Amino acid sequence: MITFSDTSKRHRNGFEALKGVSLSIEKGEIVAVTGHSGAGKSTLLRLAAGIELASQGSVMVNNQNVKQLKEPGLAVLRRNLGLVFQDHKLLFDRNVFENVALPLSIAAFSHKETGRRVRAALDKVGLLSREKAELITLSGGEQQRLCIARAIVNRPAILIADEPTGNLDQAYAETIIDLFKSFNQVGVTVLLATHDETGLARLKCRRISLVHGKLAE
Amino acid sequence: MKAWLTTHAHACERAIKRLISQPMVTFLSVFVIAMAITLPLGLYVMFANVSAAASRVNTEPNVNVYLALNANEQETREVEKRLKAMNNVARVTFIARDVALAEMKRVANLADLVASLEANPLPHAFSVRPSVSDAATLESLRASIALLPKVENITMDFEWAQKLRRFGTFAERLVLLLGLLLATAVVFVTGNTIRLQILTQKDEIEVSQLIGATRQFIRRPFLYFGAMQGMLAGLAAVLAIMAFVWWAGAEVSALTMSYGASFSLTAPTFRFSVAVIALSALLGWFGAFLSVWLYLRRVTRD
Repeated sequence: MITFSDTSKRHRNGFEALKGVSLSIEKGEIVAVTGHSGAGKSTLLRLAAGIELASQGSVMVNNQNVKQLKEPGLAVLRRNLGLVFQDHKLLFDRNVFENVALPLSIAAFSHKETGRRVRAALDKVGLLSREKAELITLSGGEQQRLCIARAIVNRPAILIADEPTGNLDQAYAETIIDLFKSFNQVGVTVLLATHDETGLARLKCRRISLVHGKLAE
Repeated sequence: MKAWLTTHAHACERAIKRLISQPMVTFLSVFVIAMAITLPLGLYVMFANVSAAASRVNTEPNVNVYLALNANEQETREVEKRLKAMNNVARVTFIARDVALAEMKRVANLADLVASLEANPLPHAFSVRPSVSDAATLESLRASIALLPKVENITMDFEWAQKLRRFGTFAERLVLLLGLLLATAVVFVTGNTIRLQILTQKDEIEVSQLIGATRQFIRRPFLYFGAMQGMLAGLAAVLAIMAFVWWAGAEVSALTMSYGASFSLTAPTFRFSVAVIALSALLGWFGAFLSVWLYLRRVTRD
């Protein structure tokens, strides 16, 4: 489903974030990418999401070479992925419902279908009662769950999450990990970057370690 | 097709929300754009009115030949004969002094003054219509006529009309140039308003792109916004011009009537007004397109 073939990424400032990474993630798998800060975890995820392009090698997602996709193709690819960002990337001038509805608005869903799907996603992450709440009133854990609701509202086949439990206390982190497990159980392929050892133990999944941009042996 | 309509409906809805959510900003932007449209539009309307009036004026060259007061009938016939025999003369019309006096009484409302005269002060005259219109030939014709016996005065009453026509052409070009300059201003004003909108929605654009929005999707609400702003400004400009015509029209008519002429200001037609509003919307759309295009080009991914 996601294949990195000898993939390298060199940033404009010359820093090489990934060095010749080759790995394959199968459909329905749940894979955790671990490593210290600056090891290249986020870069790996951004390459898989088509947010960045590989400097060398290739990244295949759903049998499509991400580097060869033009702008509309990349947009379609991202629309079919669920993305959970480390910094949430929520819109604070919109309420909970409107944030989750954003991907559906992009995909041109009707108001009725949007309402149905948004409420289902909010229900899944336990935020249904707060659909009209302003974001400023949400706790860190709630914001993280909101970000996950936005990622799953399109019912994606692949979920990519960057540090989804970062900065959360243990109880919240466990809730988030359980959510990912539940998505995986219904066939969603999950690729997440984390350095939360407790969460990883709870997840019981395949682990990939990155050290200075390279896969650790 | 349904999805396409849905995306456009959503974009339109968002544009309307943006317009409504900041009424003061919207008002000021529309006001500035309306000002930029009103100036050339007002000049154009004035020009169109003056042109329409000028088109009713006969601009064909005409030479009026006035004989001496003591010219008798035989001498008058002789002058007429020689005028008709001249080159470059298409038509010669004799205006008898009695007829001229009667006409003067009728046209200039000078009945009382004319009645107080002991004798007719007007001479016999000829209205000569040349077959050419170039200035050099007409000057040579005037010189030839001046040599005829009993010819006392010659006037050529087409020069002012030609000047008016030339002025009209100049004014037309001036309005066109001003229109182009101010259309560019409309594009820049709209572009700048959209640029500010983009800056306030930078996060939304970034997030939308990250989760699968195409450039068209990002651009669409801004284009609707620009077009709506332009449309509102166009409408405001048309209304301002109509208000001016209504307000000043009666005064202008009264003023021209006091000079013995008939002229009244005409408001832009419905079709013309619709065209102005549509053009303003198009300029707003174009300004928005430029602004978003420049922004998206700058933030293109690595």
